[in-house]
Amino acid sequence: MSASNMTPADAPAAGGLLAPADLTPGRRTWRAFSRNPLGMISAAIILLMVAVAIAAPLLAKFPSGYGRDILMPPSGAHPFGTDDLGRDVLAQVIWGTRISMIIAFASSLLAILIGVALGVLAAYARKLDGIVSTLVDVSLALPVLPLMILVAALIGPSVTTLVMVIALFSWPEVTRIVRSQALSVTRLPYVDAARTIGGSHFWIMTRHILPAVAPIIVVSVVLTASRAVLSEAGLSFLGLGDPESWSWGKILFNAQRSGALTVAWWCTLFPSLAILLLVVSATLVSIAYNDARNPKTRET
Amino acid sequence: MHLTGYFLQRLLRGLVTFWFAVTVTFFLVRLLPGDPVSAVASPSMTEEIRQRQLEVYGLDRPLLAQYFAYLGQLVQGNLGISFLSSQPVSKILLERLPWTLLLTGTALIVTVLLGIPLGVLAATRARGWVDQIVQVSGVIGQSLFVPSIGIFLLYTLGLLAGWFPIGGAVKSDLTGFARIASIAHHLVLPCLTLVMAQLASYVLTLRATLIEALGEEYCDLARAKGTPENKVIWKHALRNALLPTTTLIGLQIGFLVGGAVLTETIYAYPGVGRAIFEAVGQLDFPVLQGAFVLLAATVVLANLATDLAYGLLDPRVRAG
Amino acid sequence: MIREIRNALTRRAVLMGGVVMAMGVAGLTQVQAQEPTRLVIGTTADVVNFNPLVGNSRSDTWVTNLMYPRLMQMTAQGSKDPYVATEWGYSEDGLSAWLEIRDDLTWSDGTAFTADDIVFTITAVTTEKIGVTAGLIPAFVSATAASPTRVEFVLSRPDSTFLTNIGFWMPIVPKHAFPEVGQVATFANNTDFVSAGPFILTSVEPGQRYLLEAVDNYPLVEAGRANIDEVEFRVFPDVNAQALALRAGDLDVIANSLPAPIARTLQGQPNITVAQAPSLGWSHMLYNLQREPLSKVEVRRALAHAVDYEAIRAIAMQGLAESTNSSVISPVLSYWADPEAQEYAFDPELSKQLLTDAGYTDADGDGFFDNLSLSLLYEQSAADIANWAQIVKDSSAQAGIRIELVGLERNTYLARAREQKDFDIYAGNWAVMEEPAAYLGLAFRTGAFINYASVSDPQLEAYIDEAQSATTPEAARVPVQAAAKLIQDQVYDNVLYYQTFQFAYNSERWENFVMQPSDLLSLVNPLSLASVTPKN
Repeated sequence: MSASNMTPADAPAAGGLLAPADLTPGRRTWRAFSRNPLGMISAAIILLMVAVAIAAPLLAKFPSGYGRDILMPPSGAHPFGTDDLGRDVLAQVIWGTRISMIIAFASSLLAILIGVALGVLAAYARKLDGIVSTLVDVSLALPVLPLMILVAALIGPSVTTLVMVIALFSWPEVTRIVRSQALSVTRLPYVDAARTIGGSHFWIMTRHILPAVAPIIVVSVVLTASRAVLSEAGLSFLGLGDPESWSWGKILFNAQRSGALTVAWWCTLFPSLAILLLVVSATLVSIAYNDARNPKTRET
Repeated sequence: MHLTGYFLQRLLRGLVTFWFAVTVTFFLVRLLPGDPVSAVASPSMTEEIRQRQLEVYGLDRPLLAQYFAYLGQLVQGNLGISFLSSQPVSKILLERLPWTLLLTGTALIVTVLLGIPLGVLAATRARGWVDQIVQVSGVIGQSLFVPSIGIFLLYTLGLLAGWFPIGGAVKSDLTGFARIASIAHHLVLPCLTLVMAQLASYVLTLRATLIEALGEEYCDLARAKGTPENKVIWKHALRNALLPTTTLIGLQIGFLVGGAVLTETIYAYPGVGRAIFEAVGQLDFPVLQGAFVLLAATVVLANLATDLAYGLLDPRVRAG
Repeated sequence: MIREIRNALTRRAVLMGGVVMAMGVAGLTQVQAQEPTRLVIGTTADVVNFNPLVGNSRSDTWVTNLMYPRLMQMTAQGSKDPYVATEWGYSEDGLSAWLEIRDDLTWSDGTAFTADDIVFTITAVTTEKIGVTAGLIPAFVSATAASPTRVEFVLSRPDSTFLTNIGFWMPIVPKHAFPEVGQVATFANNTDFVSAGPFILTSVEPGQRYLLEAVDNYPLVEAGRANIDEVEFRVFPDVNAQALALRAGDLDVIANSLPAPIARTLQGQPNITVAQAPSLGWSHMLYNLQREPLSKVEVRRALAHAVDYEAIRAIAMQGLAESTNSSVISPVLSYWADPEAQEYAFDPELSKQLLTDAGYTDADGDGFFDNLSLSLLYEQSAADIANWAQIVKDSSAQAGIRIELVGLERNTYLARAREQKDFDIYAGNWAVMEEPAAYLGLAFRTGAFINYASVSDPQLEAYIDEAQSATTPEAARVPVQAAAKLIQDQVYDNVLYYQTFQFAYNSERWENFVMQPSDLLSLVNPLSLASVTPKN
């Protein structure tokens, strides 16, 4: 396992023609990953969604105002139908992609930052480990959604609130994973060697431990982001979302509030599908990545 | 470590967790922007009740004094007064707690009962197409948005097929076995919704640990002795693979109890989760706080129970 | 191995499936000992307060209405008909009033329903200043029971709305079952119910259901008793699930008014009938007169002409709203409404002109007048208002007026509107405004209870005084209409529409509901529930 941390500086750059044993670990992982159809499809879907999120202004007008065609089923003019104010649902889903993804990635990045810092620290500094571990266990044990609801209700709805709240409740999971991965590295001889040489703690942590947990971080980002999408949808559905912006949860909130939930199936179906698609893809990508980088489960 | 010692350690951890939940709630409300008075008294209350609340919680005293006043109230079982109904929060929530326990408890049991065979299935046919199907369907289930799936099930199985009642916990005026049957009948759809969301992580974890276990030496030994593969799996490997999943259950309880908020709302199930939903719209803070504290207590107790189960199951713990 | 695993899995699956099916069947064939007729009513909110004088949410009112009678009946035009009270009138000088009640009403524990109960109720309400009712009868001095069926009142000044106000707005509570005056407002009244209505609460399961049984003596319907034996209110927080339950037959009628999409779907169902009732109130915007520049009538007029009223009614309300012609007297109140009233025209150009004349310019050329940015306060969970607030914002933009939407949760919204008067524009609803001389006072007198806009106009006060001290409706009508005209002219209140409510019930199983106006009464008012009969 430790071999995967040692990246030979002069590894040949050529790819597929070499036998697997001659490839860098990175390339090995990529090769295994690219052979996994589920993983590749999911990665493509995520990239497509990111593209939609970035290109949103080009794809559709920001849904606002009102139109005359209320609650129309999907048609040529409105492929996803219209909502109870006559607004185009496709535009809502497209712009919703933007906000949902921003919230998901922002909160997961924030959670990752906190989680990685604490996880690495806990693994490295024995004294801090006790406190951090207890904190993580305790946080993980608590029912998170009710607390998120309480906090969001107290602060008031906005994109920032949601990002902070979701990040605040996602970091313990990250810390737990990072810590256990980092622990497997800190016990290794080369870390002790580095310490004897006289490397500063910070240097050791960033040069040696961090790269070891890098793959875990990648997986964590994706998983935390996908869970964040669900959390955001849940909070928006309860009315705690940002009233000025569009997110998938908000489309569903509108549908529930206006009585369209069961009556206008398009208002419910499309945002739900979008959520499903993103979360499934993210999860499958991380599973595929995990399988690809782990020699035991890799097919080669 | 002796079993008692183990249990005491877990008890201590549980108490710390609960204390943490309580403290977080206290500070959240008082440190966040806004008037802390608005956390315990609302303008819609009568003056008399409002004054009483302010006194009881000592909102004019220094923060630390307030904290102890708050803890003191908690120990006496006083969770505050609901803004909406001016009733004690503990009374409101304790009436609803049994339903949430029933729902989440059943969902947990069903998850385990379904998860074990599915996990075994996936592990033994690892990377085959059965495994892929189990994984993908598990992932899909886990990614569903609860209100969407809830309404979908209500519409199809409840209205169109007519197999299940639309919402509620029990049909009125029944007693004895008919009542139990009605409760179960009403329980199916909400339980199904929750199970779908939770099953995947259980199955996937079990699959992973079982794959590990099946590759271990003691399984090779059993095979060498001529034990049929079936028995190797169910009698040897599974017992060890189940141990980590027991701790997973502890984590899942927290998610489950929280996920019940959305489920209970859609299905009009009269539990604590629905009380939270109703309180959110009105910003009925005492109910929100009380619900969180109560749910935290429930989760802590449930975790203690699973820790005890783990302790009894894992011979390493018993042996000391 | 494969077969054994499959068997294990299959066995489990079959077992689970079997258990589920068995329970399903058992649940379907439940025990039905006797056959009391029961009407199951859906509601979206729990009953939180059983004290009819205090509880003011819809669910509270629907349930307590069935036990604590109101003296008069509300007609479709907002006037009052005899019900428990048979006759009433004022003295010549207007300083005293009287009413006569029926003598055949009893409380469910056998005690007679007499004038003493009325005296008790009104004394408690005015002494403890309970609720809106207290605010409606400022002229009240004292009440006495001249006989078991006659109550006499002393007033501090003539008030032509006094009797009809207490006739509808004050449910009568039993003196012998309630605490003394001074403790009535805090009385929870959640056990040992005593009812003079058609039904009495027998079982309360908070969050789930409220069961009421028919009382034997209810002389206010022909049969002398309700036609059905039991009424059950069931709580469904989600209106979508509630509609599904009605379609599935789990509910017989839904008490709350339904959003347009749901009503439309239900209309297509063969076993469901959707009935309509107009609102007796209205939806409106108030401009805060204490704030610049809203204190200028030209600015208010400009704002009034910058609203696309027709779009609001057609789109936000999906056609289920009617214009009041911008008058505070809804056309539903056919006796009082002014046929000459005309709605403010939606004319962005006119708005721009008015604002330019008032001195506003658009120096930076961004399409909006400079230094003119107004906040619009509304309750976020009210879907209708949230929708038309959006329309107001967009149509005002066409006139160069910048509006910022501020959607808040209910308590904060009420606090800011009522107590702090912290808003530029307020968007809201009044549920029932049926007696102009009364509500004009409540809403437009200086410092009055619901005068959120802080209107203070001596001429308007004079009209209201005149209307309230008039001793006949004919005499009251002139100043009432003059007041409404003044309000419209000065844009003290911009009334957008009155709503048409839609209610649904299972018409395959039930008939003879009596629809009354406003969603406070709708299909679940006492007369209706006492008259409804099952179809055979």
